[in-house]
Parts: sequence; structure tokens; C-alpha cells
Amino acid sequence: MSRLQLDNLHLSRGGHTVLEQLNGRFQDGAITALIGANGAGKSTLIAAIMGMLTPAGGQVKCTVPKERRAWLPQQLALDLSFPMSVEELIMTGTWPSHGAFKGYCAAHYRRGREIMSRLGISQLAHRQLGELSGGQRQRALIGRTLMQEAELLLLDEPFANVDTDTVDILMDTLREMARQGATLIVVLHDMEQLSQLADDVLLLAGGHGQWVNPERLIEQQGGVAPRAPRLPITLAEFSHARSD
Amino acid sequence: MLDLIDAWLLAPFGYGFMRRAAVAGLALSLAAPPLGVFLMLRGMSLIGDAMAHAILPGVALGFLFAGFSLPMMSLGGIISGLLVALLAGSVSRLTGHREDSAMASFFLMSLAAGVMLVSMGGSSVDLTHVLFGSILAVDSTALVLIAGIASLIVLVLAAIFRALVVDCLDPLFLRGQGVRGGLVHGTFLGLVVLNLTAGFQTLGTLMAVGLMMLPATTARFWSQRLEGLIAIAIALAVLASFFGLLLSYHLGLPSGPSIILLAGMAYIFSALFGRQHSVVARFRRRVAPLESTPPAA
Repeated sequence: MSRLQLDNLHLSRGGHTVLEQLNGRFQDGAITALIGANGAGKSTLIAAIMGMLTPAGGQVKCTVPKERRAWLPQQLALDLSFPMSVEELIMTGTWPSHGAFKGYCAAHYRRGREIMSRLGISQLAHRQLGELSGGQRQRALIGRTLMQEAELLLLDEPFANVDTDTVDILMDTLREMARQGATLIVVLHDMEQLSQLADDVLLLAGGHGQWVNPERLIEQQGGVAPRAPRLPITLAEFSHARSD
Repeated sequence: MLDLIDAWLLAPFGYGFMRRAAVAGLALSLAAPPLGVFLMLRGMSLIGDAMAHAILPGVALGFLFAGFSLPMMSLGGIISGLLVALLAGSVSRLTGHREDSAMASFFLMSLAAGVMLVSMGGSSVDLTHVLFGSILAVDSTALVLIAGIASLIVLVLAAIFRALVVDCLDPLFLRGQGVRGGLVHGTFLGLVVLNLTAGFQTLGTLMAVGLMMLPATTARFWSQRLEGLIAIAIALAVLASFFGLLLSYHLGLPSGPSIILLAGMAYIFSALFGRQHSVVARFRRRVAPLESTPPAA
């Protein structure tokens, strides 16, 4: 039984159908890449999985409690001029257990420090978010989801505007989270990153979704992992592509 | 020397009205600046102004029905302020228009309605009082009301503090956790309305915004941390209230504008000489060397 399942899902925005007849299971303890051109419905699907968009039909079956679902939007969605330090940001990840009132204890601060050292941002603990580079910020945001002990993690282009060192560290961290049983869904545009990271791929195009085997996808792209997928990708290329 | 200090700083507070004014100013100075800091950080510095206009028709209605009764006028102000905030919020949610355009439309209507109501029921002197207040006319009932509202604001703000901070930075995170961000935001706007109603008796509906926003925008030149911003803003507001009152006493100036102009002078000084992002700080900023030494050639 998988934690997250799509059952004949139909999603619409502003009266227009964005996605329909979407079915399938996301593997537990694995990383699923969500790919598709701009406007293919990736963000809409994420919103539906997070429970922020009511499906027009069908349903998202998710057994992960709300507070263990984490969504890391693209950085633009955050107000990074807000005065907050890296450590404070990571500590807000305790919201599921602490809510709005409970104080943090030493054990939580210790855990926060462990997370920062794992992500290589210990020296930035007291720096303000506004002073950080894109890569440093992304590490801090991933730190918050680690603090949250997320079981279902959705990431929207986590490697955009991020340096290669950070990409390596984040990829290791995400793989580690998957190994420990979390279900991860990552929006990606870069096929090279996809080939390194994804265990499974959900391709969105033309209002429909198609599960694709990552190796098959790379093969289809000419056997090499190019910097970006060749667009437009059509679903016909991948019919019966998934090996299960 | 001591005589001079006594005559300038202490003797005025021998009068009951000055003592009450000082306590009212202190209470407002504790409650208003933290709200201002959050408004500023959310890019809503001008919302306070809109809200101040929004409470006007309620205050005027209270005045029409009950005469110059502070509790009734405050109640009216709170109701009309909350109503406008609610209407603006709903219109923006239902139509998809930005909240500030809805707010602007409603506050202009409120202002017109308020001025019309006041002029229907009273003289122009009354209008001046409602718009600009008079801190020196605070009686004991008013003082209890102001102190009560200020305490309530501080307590509620403490209760929603963490949620508010998280909501400012990343509203989606809070929504993901099942907390309704709208509820936090709405409670916060409710506090702003409460604060303005507490302030209108002493500073007037328009000047009350000043004690909320000016210390906050001034603090931005001195600190980059949230705690620092709030502490500095409160300290500035307390100082401005205290010395503004003294100025108004000694020089026979109206008290509200004296307080707000003092806070305004602090803002201009800080914009020029403050520690962060001020004009001087930009010129004077030294470039710190890297901690590591360059590799030998």
C-alpha cells in the first residue's frame, strides 16, 4: 500500500481543466520526478496533493498526516527580506510538534545544529536570510523540512539558481530522506539531475499524466542526459514505458 | 541645574491631566509599535492609514447617538474598522483583486461617510477633535479603556506571534500545516483596528497611525533583527510620547502633532545617520576583508 495515490484525478483552475484522468501510485521511500513543460500542471498537481486545491473529480488518497507533508515552493514565493536568521527558520520546522505556543528546548536546538552541520551551513546560523546566496537559502529551507521530519516532501525546482556544491549536498540529503522511508516528489527540468536522482518519473503533458521509467526516458532523449529535456515531449513517445 | 530639570521635566506631571496623558501615551507606545513593525515588514505601511479612516464613521455614529462618550465612540470605531477590514478582505478574495485596492476603495467611502456623519451631528470643533484628538483631555474612564485595549493587544500579539512570523515569511508553510493563514492575518488586522481606536481619543484617528508606523520605520535604520526592531520602536515611541507631551505643555502646542513630529524628527535623523542602510552608513561602509589569506603566488 502506498502512502500517496491518485485516483482518476481531475483538476481545474478558473473553470479550465488542467489535468484529467490522472492515476497511479507514488512509491514510498523513493524519489519521483515530476516533469513537463511550463503550464503542464505541475504546480496544480502539487497544490492538490498538499490539500490546497479541491479536485474537480476523482481524489488524492494520502495517508500522511497534514503536518508531516512539506512543500518547498520556488524561492520567489518567500519574503526573504523578513528579518529572520537561518537558525530561526530551521526552528520553525518544529511547528508540527510545537505549534504556535510551545517553547523550544535544548534538544531541539541541538537537533537544529546537527541539521545545519549536515547541510554545511553551521557558520551561517545567525546570518539573516536576506544576506544569503541562493544556494545557502535553499540549504536552510531543506533544513526546515528535515526539522519537520516530513514523510511526504514536495520540492518545486529545488536546484534552480543553486551552485553545484549545494546541488550535491541537497541530492545526498534527499536520497537519505528517501532511504529512511519518506516519499519525495521533485519538479525537475534538468535531465542530468533527473538521471542522478529519480527512481520514477511522472510526465505531465497535454492535460494527462504518464508514468515513465527514468532509464527509458533518458534513452528516449538519445542515450545521453542533456541539460534540459527536448520540448515538447509528447506522451505517445512513452506509451507503455513504465516497466511494471 | 536641578531646579531647571525639575521645572522642565517633573513639575508638569504635578498636574493630573499631564499624568493621565503620560500614562495613556505610555500604554499606546507599548502596544502600537510592534503592530507597526509587522505592518512595515509585510509591506503594508499604508494600511494603517486606510484603517484609521475606516474607523471614522463608527466613531461619528457613536458620537451622534451618545454624545461625547468615549466607550460608545470606541465601540463604533471598532465595529466599523473591523467591518471595513472584513469587507475589503472578502471583496479581494471573491474578485481576485489585490487587497490594497479593495481597502483603498472602502476607506475612501468610510472617510466620506464619517465626515458627513460628524458634520450632520456636530460643529467643526468636534470634527477636529475626532481627527486630531487631545491627549490632555484624557479622563480616568478613557485611561482605563486605553490601558485595557493596549494590554489586550500585547497579550493577543504574544499569542499569535510565532504564527504571524511564519505567515509573514512563508504563508504556504503555515497553510500546509493546516493553519488558516487568513485567520492569523485577520486577527492581526483586528489588533490594528483596536489600537487605532485606543489611539483616537489621545492622538486622533489620523495621528494615531503615526505612533504605530513612525517608530517602526525609524527602527529599520538601527536593527536588522525582529526583536531589535520591536524593542527600538517601543523605546522611540515612549520617548516621543514623553517629550512630545512636555513640548506641548511648555510651548503651548497641540499634543498629538508634537508627539508625532518628534517621532518624525527621529525618523529623519535615522534616515541620515542610522546604523543600517542610512545615507551616511552607505557612504561609510567599509569593505571587510576575507577571513582567509590569499594563496601565495
